[in-house]
Amino acid sequence: MQVALPTQLIDRLQKILGAERVLTAGSDLMAYECDGFTIEKNSPDVVVFPDTTEHVSQVVSLCNEYEVPFIPRGAGTSLAGGCLPVGGGVMIVLTRMKEILEINLRDRYAIVQPGVVNVWLTQALKGSGYHYAPDPSSQGACTIGGNVATNSGGPHTLKYGVTVNHVLGLEAVLADGQIVRLGGPAEDSPGLDLVGAIVGSEGTLAIVTRVWVRITRNPQGYRTMLGIFESVEDATNAISEIIGAGIVPAALEMMDQGILVAVEEAFGFGFPLDAQAVLLIEVDGLEAGLDHQRDQIDRLCKQCGAREVRRAETDKERQQLWKARKQAFGAIGRLSPSYCTQDGVVPRTKLPQILQRITEISQRYDLKVVNVFHAGDGNLHPILLFDERDQQQVARVLKASGEILEECLACGGSVTGEHGIGVEKIHFMKRMFSEDDLAVMGRLRDSFNPHNRLSPDKMLPTAGACGMEQTHPGRHAAM
Amino acid sequence: MTTLPDDFPVDETIEIHETAEVAATISDAFDRDQAIYPIGGGTALGWGLPATRPGTGLLLGGLQRVIDYPARDMTITVEAGISMQALTTQLATEGQQLPLDVPLADQATLGGVVATNTNGPRRFGLGTVRDYVIGIHAVDGQGTAFQGGGRVVKNVAGYDFCKLLTGSMGTLGVITQLTLKLKPIPEQRALVACALDDWQAAETLLDALVQSQTAPTAVELISGSAWSSLAGLPTGGSPPNDPQLWLVVVLEGTEPEVRWMVDQLLREWQELSVTEAAECTGEQAAALWSALVEFPATESPLVLRASVVPSATTRMMAAFREIDADCNLQAHAGNGTVIARFSVFPEAGLSRTLIAHLQPAATASQGNIVILSNPAKTEMTPQCVWGGNAAPFALMSSVKQKFDPKDLLNPGRFVYRSSTS
Repeated sequence: MQVALPTQLIDRLQKILGAERVLTAGSDLMAYECDGFTIEKNSPDVVVFPDTTEHVSQVVSLCNEYEVPFIPRGAGTSLAGGCLPVGGGVMIVLTRMKEILEINLRDRYAIVQPGVVNVWLTQALKGSGYHYAPDPSSQGACTIGGNVATNSGGPHTLKYGVTVNHVLGLEAVLADGQIVRLGGPAEDSPGLDLVGAIVGSEGTLAIVTRVWVRITRNPQGYRTMLGIFESVEDATNAISEIIGAGIVPAALEMMDQGILVAVEEAFGFGFPLDAQAVLLIEVDGLEAGLDHQRDQIDRLCKQCGAREVRRAETDKERQQLWKARKQAFGAIGRLSPSYCTQDGVVPRTKLPQILQRITEISQRYDLKVVNVFHAGDGNLHPILLFDERDQQQVARVLKASGEILEECLACGGSVTGEHGIGVEKIHFMKRMFSEDDLAVMGRLRDSFNPHNRLSPDKMLPTAGACGMEQTHPGRHAAM
Repeated sequence: MTTLPDDFPVDETIEIHETAEVAATISDAFDRDQAIYPIGGGTALGWGLPATRPGTGLLLGGLQRVIDYPARDMTITVEAGISMQALTTQLATEGQQLPLDVPLADQATLGGVVATNTNGPRRFGLGTVRDYVIGIHAVDGQGTAFQGGGRVVKNVAGYDFCKLLTGSMGTLGVITQLTLKLKPIPEQRALVACALDDWQAAETLLDALVQSQTAPTAVELISGSAWSSLAGLPTGGSPPNDPQLWLVVVLEGTEPEVRWMVDQLLREWQELSVTEAAECTGEQAAALWSALVEFPATESPLVLRASVVPSATTRMMAAFREIDADCNLQAHAGNGTVIARFSVFPEAGLSRTLIAHLQPAATASQGNIVILSNPAKTEMTPQCVWGGNAAPFALMSSVKQKFDPKDLLNPGRFVYRSSTS
């Protein structure tokens, strides 16, 4: 239900921010009606671009005064509808707050505004011997504020952890407009870890206006390998063996034959087309240990039946292997007009089982599914190929997607490893959590956001959130 | 069996053996408005404000089952009352570890460690409790059992109760079960130590470590007589009556990695004209490591912990030394954590010492000070115990109110400033 905003509110927003920082024309608002999850769309009533924390606070106070919903937004690259303005209202776009405020190598932190694009920080750190570790594949576009909201991952989470492991403190505007500072460059602030609660809360607890992040020492060197396997099962066994041997690779990614064929057709990297699966494995750290780890991985892959383990001998070869992985999604266009990606997680020892089940499900629904994913931490991104003009096929994709996620849960996993619940997976929350769990989550939200005006109807299934029936699968790119 | 301090205000204790009993007990306590004190190994009962309200002690040490240990997934799900020692032994059978370096590990329980957010030297390289808990089960103040997270290492579904309950001192829920992410035990550990003349010399080396080619898992700055009694530490050039100061760097990895790092670190230090440096080996290394882990739990008239920005570590150490020239100090210098074990209770009294001297010093370095233990229990005011900084205690109190509306869980001991506690 959407009610037109009082013109008085618009006037007052313009007075605070200036007319050019307030969008109200329908054509301007269209760009803000969804994020990377494009199935469901709803336009905000007004979009504002604050420059300062005080502006955000004033906007939030006004929204409360007029009792209208409000929602923060970064670059809009999220994949589960986290910044979809379900009930309309005021969208607070933070991309103008884009300063890196401080870099402190001695104390190993940086302070950024929420609109700073992820990769800018690592670029700013170039030459310092440090970097910002979380590196979602959208890092050239996504903002650190958005990363905080969704607790973003990326290919290097296996060794370095996700966003929350790198956030030391936050300045945030609460749902009532109050500005608070939580944590900071010194560790162990007394009291509750509200920073940990806000990171990954998908914008439902507070609007983050400043972030203290940990910066990470660069590794001395890398070894990058490509293991080529005759069967998916051999490849997944190799993953278990590598991790089981006490090696923690910086990245451990898998591509199956379906995606290999597309990548090979598109880029001609020289992958063997008859291989059933390849593993892209990278270890990093001290030079003194890298050759040993590489040899161990080589041996373990071969023990598990790898036909060949190729090594990137030069930086150029390494870049090429990563290019194959990172551009895999771009090659899917060769396979089908539309595709849908899921974000399920299973314990990594359950990978053979879940991949087998995905094959069975895809056969039963007569769909082609290809796989390219973060194998090391069991985070799947099965890609279901279809033609969106075929309504029957679309319905089958939706059912198959649901069954795949059900299977992840049956394996003891999760329906989302890094993309979030948003609105896309809200109906799965009751499968993962009991009524009591959800009630306690609801109470946590109430303590921050008592009137549910901040990002309403996200993440937690509430009576008001079931209105959006899924009729069309997403075609969004994965990480 | 956990022995409670004589003055701990429990009028009954209940030994818990099944997680379902926790919900039943709290539900009953909720009906009777009875306070609940969750008790693990009893090693941290002196932490926080003293308990004053009579209540029921929930003895959780009987919850010690391993629910699931899929070692190949590098995760384990266990009941919260398992002792850290039992957990460590279990994990070692698979060459794995939870690298938190908890003192009194034979008594301390995992649930207690999570509730108090206890960490040790290797927090510099390997992180803290919040980096390892991936699933949590707890019972709130109304007797509702709830969970967050799951059993997989990557999971963003729902609010992160694992983080919220870590360090919450059992005031939002009594933790009953935990799923942990694990690390492999490294092939080797080396402790490299050097003796330093003064704070400035320490600053120079800490500064240089920022660009070191080595990758330490712990950077410890230690000072005082408790350390000089250990064999194996190099002797420094400082006059015999001055408290000596050492930097100890912990290096872990495969054998060739550790060998390379030891040599490299000694080379880097040599370039900075450090002459009294050596690798500590054998039994001496084991004793030093044990001392580094156990330091905060060793009985003393007063133990304080400051958390400041890392570059203020030596300044904070000097501030403690000014109050008590004979205090023993340990800093996790890479993190800005300084633990001071006082030799005598400050003559000026706790409030005056903290509020006039130490808290302003910590605040000036963007940090805080908390009391780890004060056996005399004098002057244990909220201002002394949890500091008077600008942390949003009101917001925390409103979270608390939603989890424990009658304020029954560990009442009056944490940071909340609501009227009921």
